[in-house]
Amino acid sequence: MKQTWLALQFPHLALDLLNRGNARPRDLPLAVSDGDARRPALLDANPAARRLGVRAGMPVSAARGLAGALQVSDRDPSLEARALDRLAAWSYQYSSAVSVLAERHTLLLESGGSERLLGDSAALAERLASELLALGYHARAGTGPTPEAAQLAARRGLQLPDRDALHGALRELPLEALLIEPEQRAALERMGFRHVREVLRLPRKALARRLGTAMVDYLDRLTGARPDPQRPWRLPEAFASGMDLPAEVSSSQALIFPLRRLVGELCGVLRGCDRGVQTLDFHFTLRRGEERLQLGLQQPGRDEQHLVQLLKERLERFRLPQPVRHVALRADEFIAFDAAPTGLFVDPGDPGSNPLEPLLERLRARLGEEAVTGLRGVEDHRPEYSWARRRLDEPAECRAMPHRPVWLFPRPQRCRIEDYRVLAGPERIESGWWDGGDCRRDYFVVRDREGSTLWAYREYKPRPGWYLHGLFG
Amino acid sequence: MPNALPRALQHPLLWQGSRRHDRIPTLPTGHARLDRTLPGGGWPLGALTELLVPRDGVGELSLLLPTLARVTREGGWAVLVDPPWTPYPPAIHGQGIDLERLVMVSTQDAKASLWACEQALRGVRGGVVLSWLRGRRHRAGFAHLRRLQLAARSGRKGAFLFRGPEAAGQSTPAALRLHLEAGERDLHLTLLKCRGTHQGVRVRLHRAHGAPCPAPEAAGRRSAASARPDSHPPGRPSDGLSEGSSGRHSGTRSGKASTQPDTRGPVPPAGHA
Repeated sequence: MKQTWLALQFPHLALDLLNRGNARPRDLPLAVSDGDARRPALLDANPAARRLGVRAGMPVSAARGLAGALQVSDRDPSLEARALDRLAAWSYQYSSAVSVLAERHTLLLESGGSERLLGDSAALAERLASELLALGYHARAGTGPTPEAAQLAARRGLQLPDRDALHGALRELPLEALLIEPEQRAALERMGFRHVREVLRLPRKALARRLGTAMVDYLDRLTGARPDPQRPWRLPEAFASGMDLPAEVSSSQALIFPLRRLVGELCGVLRGCDRGVQTLDFHFTLRRGEERLQLGLQQPGRDEQHLVQLLKERLERFRLPQPVRHVALRADEFIAFDAAPTGLFVDPGDPGSNPLEPLLERLRARLGEEAVTGLRGVEDHRPEYSWARRRLDEPAECRAMPHRPVWLFPRPQRCRIEDYRVLAGPERIESGWWDGGDCRRDYFVVRDREGSTLWAYREYKPRPGWYLHGLFG
Repeated sequence: MPNALPRALQHPLLWQGSRRHDRIPTLPTGHARLDRTLPGGGWPLGALTELLVPRDGVGELSLLLPTLARVTREGGWAVLVDPPWTPYPPAIHGQGIDLERLVMVSTQDAKASLWACEQALRGVRGGVVLSWLRGRRHRAGFAHLRRLQLAARSGRKGAFLFRGPEAAGQSTPAALRLHLEAGERDLHLTLLKCRGTHQGVRVRLHRAHGAPCPAPEAAGRRSAASARPDSHPPGRPSDGLSEGSSGRHSGTRSGKASTQPDTRGPVPPAGHA
């Protein structure tokens, strides 16, 4: 099998982690600093900041002078490492072998094996880059016949499907294209080399003597002269991701933008791991305090649209006491997942393929758990005690009393029987002495002056009088 | 697109004069007289049906019970959004409804109620949704109804909206709009709007408990003798609507008469004090 590698390099990872919760990346200037204690300098700046003249490499103080509204945050390497781990899990949906090159902010996917399934690697590279952009990550994607070739291709925006393409490219590329230490490149330049092809023509022994074996080793791995095994990366069993909201969000509806990205990331990871989740825990850090929101599913799922829909409906009745500064999503338990067949060979008229659960989840998410119920019967002669609401997963046993009225009033209303005509009756109901609800009633079908048919009763005990109890609707 | 025109003509909102009614997907109403009158022989599927009810307790829910019974027995879902009271389970189960397939949804305000109705219409395919858009809190405008109509179509549902009589003045995207009126013995249905047939057609269905009984005092005295809780006099129709096939009403007309526009006014409620 032809091996093809796909490299995803994240040139702005530190900034992306800061900026992806920013709903207005064009208006709100943001920058990341290297966190140097004495003389911090900027690593990266978003488009809004760059428009104000802020550039990477600038001292933080100078950048602040240029743009008063600039928000500067220190980079956090541990956040970046965790993000790469999530993105590696996310990429598993497109490859069966993923490795993480943390220092280079790069993911490496073996893509040759999935070509038949997913189309050629170049098209896959493009698709991955655009899907990642939707999640808020800028990625450069490139393909090549060796891991190093793919990484070089990603940085130069190339697609090198085979060795011929690689060698063709290496004939043209300047020295800067090589992923080598700056000192090594400087040394080569001092020797008068400008192009990769000149270095490749050098005798290996001489090169190793002058620049060290690492240099030779790199070139061999690049061209495929030496194998380059990658350390496989282990799939996660839980998910946690979060993002700062550079512009505080005070309406729960505006939270959809950042939360959609988190959910999208989670769903990608779940597809990668072939797992589903049943509980999603959202955590909002407020200006003061915090809020939580838990989204439960009837069955394990990973359908992004469905989850976002549920979330939207939950947020409709979610009140934020304070503006939100940070949002986070955790899913602690990945559950084996039976992917439902999507569309193919499914008869839409078959109730089995047409489950009620998604609808129930949507209704409950917005209206609350108690708003959606079923009905059942209860063994009791007194009509008001002879029924109950049930959860929809409980059985619905019930006696059949077809002559009774279809509407029952929540509690009997006193009435003057003179206002009604009796159409049928009586039906004697006498019961309840054993549980303290001792009563004796005669029920009649009555008609009022406007033509409605009602169910009335005369109670002998405990509260003698006439009452209306239902309506023959 | 060569096949655009035939496809466009399949649009459920488009009624062609030449098209036979039997191509409209419908649900039998369970009332033979009504089935004979309605195009396609039943309640329209994938479209709204509005029931304008001036008063509760005239048989408005009973009108739909045969349909609900059939749908739930066949495994479909019946969703009731904001009914005014609790449907009494022994009674509706007694009318053949499978309670396992009945879902009640209650909401707090008009907006949520319309939303829930739309979700229920879109949510599962098939089945029926009954929604009570009544009272002052429900000022469902044309745009709202249009959304519901589209939702009903996408879910291929029977969709029934109970509304007050004042809605008669409002234009509607519904396929069928019926006005319900209680007579002494009959329920009078007037087709205010109906795709594929003339508007103004009237249909009468027998009401249950149509015949007056002895006065309460007399009945009350007699009651001491009968103490069976669930008994009801034999031969009495159930509290649903019974088919108007007895000679008393249909005898005055020919067999086809019920599908003709009724030129007479509604039967005035029988005078009682």
